[in-house]
Formats: sequence, structure tokens, C-alpha cells
Amino acid sequence: MLVFGRAGLRMLKLEHVTRLYGATTAVDDVSLDVARGQMVAVIGPSGAGKSTLLRMINGLARPTGGRVLFEGSDVSGLQGKALRAWRARCAMIFQQFNLVGRLDVVTNVLMGRLAHRPIVTTLAGWFAEEDRLMAVAALDRLGLGAQLAQRAETLSGGQQQRVAIARALVQEPDIILADEPVASLDPANTRSVMQALRAINRDQGITVLVNLHDVDLAREWCDRVIGLRAGRVVFDDAPTALTGAATTELYGLERLAAE
Amino acid sequence: MSRGLRADAMARRAEFSARYGAAVSPSLPRQLSRYLLPAVLLALLAAGLWRVDFSPERIWNGLGKLGFILSFMVPPHPGNLLGLFIRSLGETVAIAFLGTLLGAIMALPLGVLAARNVIPSWIFRFSMRRGLDVLRGVDTLIWALIFINVVGLGPFAGILAIMVSDIGSFGKLYSEAIEASDKKPVEGIRAAGGSELHALWYGVLPQVFPVMVSQVLYFFESNTRSATIIGIVGAGGIGLHLADQIRLNEWQTVAFIVLMILVTVGIIDFCSTRLRFALIGKGRLSG
Repeated sequence: MLVFGRAGLRMLKLEHVTRLYGATTAVDDVSLDVARGQMVAVIGPSGAGKSTLLRMINGLARPTGGRVLFEGSDVSGLQGKALRAWRARCAMIFQQFNLVGRLDVVTNVLMGRLAHRPIVTTLAGWFAEEDRLMAVAALDRLGLGAQLAQRAETLSGGQQQRVAIARALVQEPDIILADEPVASLDPANTRSVMQALRAINRDQGITVLVNLHDVDLAREWCDRVIGLRAGRVVFDDAPTALTGAATTELYGLERLAAE
Repeated sequence: MSRGLRADAMARRAEFSARYGAAVSPSLPRQLSRYLLPAVLLALLAAGLWRVDFSPERIWNGLGKLGFILSFMVPPHPGNLLGLFIRSLGETVAIAFLGTLLGAIMALPLGVLAARNVIPSWIFRFSMRRGLDVLRGVDTLIWALIFINVVGLGPFAGILAIMVSDIGSFGKLYSEAIEASDKKPVEGIRAAGGSELHALWYGVLPQVFPVMVSQVLYFFESNTRSATIIGIVGAGGIGLHLADQIRLNEWQTVAFIVLMILVTVGIIDFCSTRLRFALIGKGRLSG
């Protein structure tokens, strides 16, 4: 296990978090501490519960048991306004980007400011100049300055994912949760997206939790690797400890080989 | 720490404003254009209401009369005509069912032929589309009046009226669904050596089938209501009796018939929802 520095740095804490879907257990009694500024990979085979785990942190799914703590306060049972405020601090990036295809790129990024502004003005399409500046600054950083007036659906997958990252950035989040952000992308775009996430993590100190199914990506980009299998944490260590044997066990490859 | 972006954005304000002008500060005309369409619609609505002498006072006075009629409706009672009403309502449902089904089947080839990705010819598609428009553009009620003169009074005229008008609607809806379908499955079948007919049958139809089923079921329910109306002009069903009872000022009977129709439409709606789920699968209804 990793040893953390000062206790105050443990910003995100999962305590015995469990999620059942009917009779299946998606996440099974997971307890974790994530320190501020870490870039953590969550790896494991499909169906291991990686997505459910991330969605429970953001509140898109509710734990059946256990709780999620952020800086000491429980965020797993939040409702209404408090839930929206928490989600603003805990940005989410999806495998399929989850942009609004028919809206232009800059408006998609402005969605990241919704939780910070009154509902009436934002519904009327009015955003403060500061919000717009932040949106273009984020897009500029991600190399999408030329595309900001285009409809999001006209962009390539890699570009769309970078728009989604820009949307996350303008939320000014404490954490970014990325659920398989590169699973639909080619190697070059995978690289640019991982690089963007790593840069955000390094330069702004934002904690990043990223679900990956590619072990090599976890090794290359992250400070810490958590391995899930059948909803349980079976590995939690530095990437260097992720040996061939550990991977084989995590993915159950020994059984495949035997068949 | 996460203030980085905001600080950066504000510090380089002039630079960003110059480079990404419109995105940073949208021009006034552009911001106003967003409200132009709603404003025009509101103006049209106001002008229309003014033109038809809309007055809240007339509604208010009318409400009194409506309350009067409603009070005569209680309690709803079928008189001694219950058997007749049940048979007629059955006829109405049968007219709607047969008309919708025949229309749905006959529209199938037409809808396929009117789709751009099936027949690329512009002239052909244009004439197909306009033909369907003619069928659809004439209301079911008008078709009923026409067919009464062609085949005589009774449910057969009603079935034909619904069928013809639905061929137009279904043809258009089918062709649009086919045009909106995903091209990738078609390419997959073509690449495996399938003919154009294979591509249509195995590549396109499974995609549009759920849309078609939902439309047909919705039309069946809606046509049950239309069939009531065309009954009034003599094309069979419960409508004739409904109109008769209104003319006779038998409001209790009117109320009873209306309730019968409501219950029937409710049952159809309930069944068609179940059927749709069973045929399409719950998760894919939207697709």
C-alpha cells in the first residue's frame, strides 16, 4: 500500500462503498483514500465496476451501502442544490464524450459554468463575459481555438473529448473523474487526451481519477493504480508494482490460458 | 490551485477578445436574433386573437352554459340503447383497426420507394412524395364523404377513408425513418456480398421497424378517435349515435357515450404501450 503524507491531504475517501444492481454486485465493499493532486488509474476487466465506482463519486449513481467523503463531509447522500454544487467541484468525462452534438463547441464548454450561475440567465443563453473568457481560454489551451464556433458533432472523436475536457476545466473542479476517456480513440488522440489530463493534474493540482482498460496507459501516465475485479479492490500500488503477474491475476488471464 | 484557468483567462482578456471576438462577446444583433423567432410567434398569436375577436368575457359567459350542459350530463346513462352503443363502438374500433392496418401495409412499398437512400432519382422521389402529400393533405373526414358516395353509407367507407389518408402519412413517416437510418449496417451487408434488396431487408428494416411499430400503434389509437367523427357523416360506428343524442339534447346519454369512447381509447393506449415494449424492448423505445 502507498503511504500518504499528512492526513489533511486525504481529500477523497470511500468507506465500504457497495452498489447492487438487482442480484448483481457491481461494487463490493470498496474503501479508498485519494490524496489531493494524485493522478489515479482505475483498471480492471469490463464489468469490474469501474464506471459504477466513478459514477457513485459524482452522484450519478447512489451507493447501496457505505459512503463517499470529500474533505471530511459525506457527499454520497446529497440532494438538489447541494448535489449540484458537489458535481460542479467534481467534473466528469465520459467515454462517448456526452457533448450536445447540435450545439457549438463554446456553448458546450459553457455548460461547465451552469452550476455557478443563476438558472434564469443561463436558460436565456446569457453567460458572463468572464465565463466566456474562461471557455475560450480552456479551448485555446487544448488547441481547439479554431473550432469554437463549430457544431460539436462535426468534430473528430479526439477533438470532442478535448471539448469535454474543456467543459470539465471551466467547472474549476477539485477532482476530474474520467470514465474510459480514451476507449473510443486512436493512439494519437489517446496520447493527446492523456497528455491533457496529465497537464491539468500537474499544472493545476487537480486530482484525476481515470478509468482505463489499457494497463500500459495506466503505467505510463498515472501515479497510482487501483485494480478492480468483480467489484473488489485487488490491487492498489504504484505503477511500477504492476508486474506481469499482477496484471494476469487482475484480468483472470491465467484461466484463459488454461482453457 | 484550480483558479489557474480563471486567472489566465482574465489576464489575457484583451488577447482572447481580439482572437475569438464573437465567442467572447456576442454582438447585440446576434444575441437579439435568439429572441426573434419567439417574438414573431407571439406577435402572430396576438394578432390572430385580436382578429377573431377573442374576448375573455365570451369565454366566461360560455363557461356558464358549459356548466349547465355538464349538470345535465350527471349521471351518465345509456337509456335503453346500451346494446346498440356497444355494437357501434365495436364497429368504430374495427374501422380504425382495419383502416390503420391496411394503410400501414400498403404504405410499406411506397415509403420504401420514397426514401432518398433507396431510390436516388430526384424526379421519382419528388413525384412519390407529392403523391403521398395529396393522400395525406386531404383530411380523413373529406375522404369519408367521398367514399360514402363511392361505396355507399356504412363502415366500409370509413375503413377506406382511414386507409387512404394513412397511406399518405405512413408513407412519409416510413421514408423519413429509412432516410435517417444508419448507413453502417447497410455497408456491412453490401461488403459481405449482399444485394440491394438484402441491404434493405436486413440492414435498414430492422432499424426502422421499432419506429414503424410505434407510429402504427399511435395511429390506431388516434384513428379510433377519428373514426368516431367520420361516423357522424355516416361512415359507420358510434359517431352517428353520438351526434343523434346531441341533437336530441339527451345529455346523459351523450355523457355515457363519451365515457365509453374514453375507456376504449384508454384500453387501446394501455395495450399498445405493452405491445410496443414487447416488440421493441424497453431500453430501445427512443431509437
